[in-house]
Amino acid sequence: MRTVLALCLLALLGFGQVLSLMQAGHERKALSSQAGATFVMPAPLFRIIALEFDGLASDVLFLKGLVFRGSTYERTERPIVKDWEWKWLYAVMDTATGIDPYFVDPYYFAAAHFAWDGGLVRETNVLLAKGMAYRNWDWMLPFFVGFNNFYFLHDNAAASDYLMRSWRIPGAPAMLASLASKLAYKDHDTENAVIFLEELLKSTEDKKIRKEYAKRLRYMQGQLTLERALARFKKRHGKMPQTINDLLDRGVLPAVPPDPYGGTYYLDGEGRVKSTSEIQLLVPASK
Amino acid sequence: MTVLWPITLITFKEGIRNRAVYGISLLALLLFGANFLVAGMMPRNVGKVAVDFALSTISLSGILLVLFIGINLLAKDIDRRTIYMVLARPISRSQYIIGKFFGMCLLIIVTIGLLSILAALSIGSLKALYPNYFERFSWSMILLAVLFEMLMLIVLSALSFLFASFTSTSFITLVLTVITYIIGQSLADVKALVESPQAVGITVSPLTVKTVQTAYYVFPNLSLFDIKLQAAHGLALPFSLVLWTLSYGVIYGTLAIVLASLIFRKKEFP
Repeated sequence: MRTVLALCLLALLGFGQVLSLMQAGHERKALSSQAGATFVMPAPLFRIIALEFDGLASDVLFLKGLVFRGSTYERTERPIVKDWEWKWLYAVMDTATGIDPYFVDPYYFAAAHFAWDGGLVRETNVLLAKGMAYRNWDWMLPFFVGFNNFYFLHDNAAASDYLMRSWRIPGAPAMLASLASKLAYKDHDTENAVIFLEELLKSTEDKKIRKEYAKRLRYMQGQLTLERALARFKKRHGKMPQTINDLLDRGVLPAVPPDPYGGTYYLDGEGRVKSTSEIQLLVPASK
Repeated sequence: MTVLWPITLITFKEGIRNRAVYGISLLALLLFGANFLVAGMMPRNVGKVAVDFALSTISLSGILLVLFIGINLLAKDIDRRTIYMVLARPISRSQYIIGKFFGMCLLIIVTIGLLSILAALSIGSLKALYPNYFERFSWSMILLAVLFEMLMLIVLSALSFLFASFTSTSFITLVLTVITYIIGQSLADVKALVESPQAVGITVSPLTVKTVQTAYYVFPNLSLFDIKLQAAHGLALPFSLVLWTLSYGVIYGTLAIVLASLIFRKKEFP
């Protein structure tokens, strides 16, 4: 009888602990999503507290940021990641790299997330510049800065400069030099974006980010196909077509490439290729 | 040396027989296992995190060894009055202290040596699992980091002997050793911070700066022996730095143990 009672008590306590943990965990989660908690201890202070476990502290900080970003993919509300959360994530990566400036993952994380989705283009470049000062063997960091300058900030001169810096590092693809020189020609922007994105795709392993890059690449490739068809049309007929359909009707283009964002390509008043989905691709306003 | 060796050996045996060694080893084993979980979560720098984690495990185990086994090795003799039996023999008090210290050094070298083999196994297996995620990897830097860690533990242990030489209970020795460890590991960073406080947007009075700068030369700079970050990234260290750090460790350790034996000579036992 005593044993049965003890077992019942144990079962009750076990159930109680699971229940209380679930409740407390749930409440805790709500607590952590309260706006404004953006403070992350600066790296010089963090290093003092971490004693001799600096490396471990930077690993834990990075993981915290990574896990948080991962959890946001499950959200349904818009914007998926709030403004203050981007700032907090940036501070986390800034401190992680402040403690261990050779740690590559926070830099790649910053390049893949902050500029594309967070709109923190200039801040990302500052973070990447810190990495470049330490990881002087890593050609990807100046490549990322070059890409950000070209794609988001539309500063082709700076982009070309960073690509050349990247190209000089052993192991960098030879095509970076030719891409850097091509950046001088504004009318090659779409082609350059395709080359940039192809290179980004090659060097990215995160499945979610790869999917996004691949989608953007397909979009840019579609745009490039249309731009080339426009050039052929102009050469053949001596004038610009009125609509995209003119390209099909005159046999310049066999089919209009699909827009992976679900939009439809059209020609704007100045004869440039646009898509109705372009609103989704709006370059985040740099802050 | 013939006088010291029996004390060294008996201290080592006493230390290794301590049940706390099993506890520390179990903790280390669990942490080496956890390394697979944590390092595997990294998108790219698996190697860096694997080395970070393995070396940090060695450090943590070493500190526990010095704090919970090392301090008791000396204190137990005094607490249980077995020290009278030893001192009744034809050996001086200094020889007793030095012999005990060598025993502790041997314990640190053997234990950390064994833990390093486990650490190498954990890093090696991760390297075999994720061969493409180990950039700039260097076994020799990992070995150097372990050697530096051993030296740090030996210096800390020498300091615990110094504290034991003038305190009355092992608890006070423990507290003083812990405080010294924390100060020793953070003082260089504190000095860097107070010398350029604008980095975190604070202001520091000149008196604080002077105090910290003075403390820097009094307390041991244990962070000098921490090259885990360099080992994790396979970054080479200048030979002169290695040499100076080794010299600093040997000199500071010797200084502490000489001071300990001098004080111990005058100590009166109850």
